[in-house]
Amino acid sequence: MKTLQRVLAIVGGAFLIGTVQAVVFGPVTLGPANITTGVDKPKGDPGRAPADPPPAIDGNDTNEDVDPGAAHDAMMDDLQNAVPTTTYSGTGATDPLLDAPVPEGSLTLREAKKLWDEGVYFIDARHEHEFEAGHIQYAAFLESKLFDMDIARANAVMDSIPQDGTIVLYCVGGECDASKNTAALLEQYGYTDLRIMGAGYEHWVAAGFETATGSDGGTP
Amino acid sequence: MSDTKPGAKLWAESILLQLPLRVGLGGVFAFAAYTKIGSTQSFANAIKGFRIVDADKYGHLIVTAAYTMPWIEMIAGVLLVLGLWSRASAVAVWVMLVAFIAALIHVILDESISADCSCFGDMNLVCESTVGWCQVIRNSILLVPCSYLVWRQGGLLALDRVFRDKSKGNDPQWTVDRGGEGA
Repeated sequence: MKTLQRVLAIVGGAFLIGTVQAVVFGPVTLGPANITTGVDKPKGDPGRAPADPPPAIDGNDTNEDVDPGAAHDAMMDDLQNAVPTTTYSGTGATDPLLDAPVPEGSLTLREAKKLWDEGVYFIDARHEHEFEAGHIQYAAFLESKLFDMDIARANAVMDSIPQDGTIVLYCVGGECDASKNTAALLEQYGYTDLRIMGAGYEHWVAAGFETATGSDGGTP
Repeated sequence: MSDTKPGAKLWAESILLQLPLRVGLGGVFAFAAYTKIGSTQSFANAIKGFRIVDADKYGHLIVTAAYTMPWIEMIAGVLLVLGLWSRASAVAVWVMLVAFIAALIHVILDESISADCSCFGDMNLVCESTVGWCQVIRNSILLVPCSYLVWRQGGLLALDRVFRDKSKGNDPQWTVDRGGEGA
């Protein structure tokens, strides 16, 4: 009986301390961000270089050596075997990869590429080691954990993007939460035009679109 | 049965088993808590990613867990290291480990979920960050010393023995076999 009382005392004490922590440091955010859909009225970086041919950025941001043909074939197999687990909306499939169904409200690969071509800001919300291994060219690394653990790096990324700029966030695709988590935090910092790429990075690679490796911030 | 002095066997058990297991397990949990306490937003996102409850309907439960769980880990971990309330803190850790294992298996079996463990904040201890069987095995291994501590408590070197109820001091079962804490 005494053990149970003590366990309850531990839990109660933890609850009290946690409550004080929440009051002192402010609550956490779990609500979804207001996500913009579609490709209308993007506001990108007017100074970004065109994609073709892709310019190298100080040696750190170089094109990744990938075999788009093989990756595309593998991705086609995955897509054919995929079982949607949520409501999806398509744009009238014309290409099984570019127009593959994505979670409702997010961008298909074709839409994301269109925005990328127009110079909008891309943010990679995956883990840092995944970003360094390969990311969409010009994308900036901004995992949601950075807001907790290295706010200076998060601020550096945010300083490079105007608050009214169009930001496309991506992670591994499908049901991944990372891009939505980062979007919710960016919204708190005043960003209003946030869009989610429903297709993941692997789809981007499979389509043979521009990628880069390295650890630089990715902004042009 | 009138001799209340602990025997050599109990001292050996306390020094070779209970003390290192207490300090080790308590230290792991206190460290795990330390990595999360300053990163509540990330931990809340991690809990949400497990999809145990609907974040839209029960977000308040996730927020409560994100603020409370690290402190349960910290308090239980520190108490285990000190050997104070040894059985109670071991029970708290045991319950958390079982709950973690159940949550991990839930994520593994649901292929639509790709979640990060965030067991040690941004650090990976033994296992990768993405939830997998490695974390289940790691937590199952931790259950073994935890169960032992629930059974045998903190041992003769635990603070429980200092703060034990003196009115039960003549009970050899209390002072020797149980290391100081009442059931």
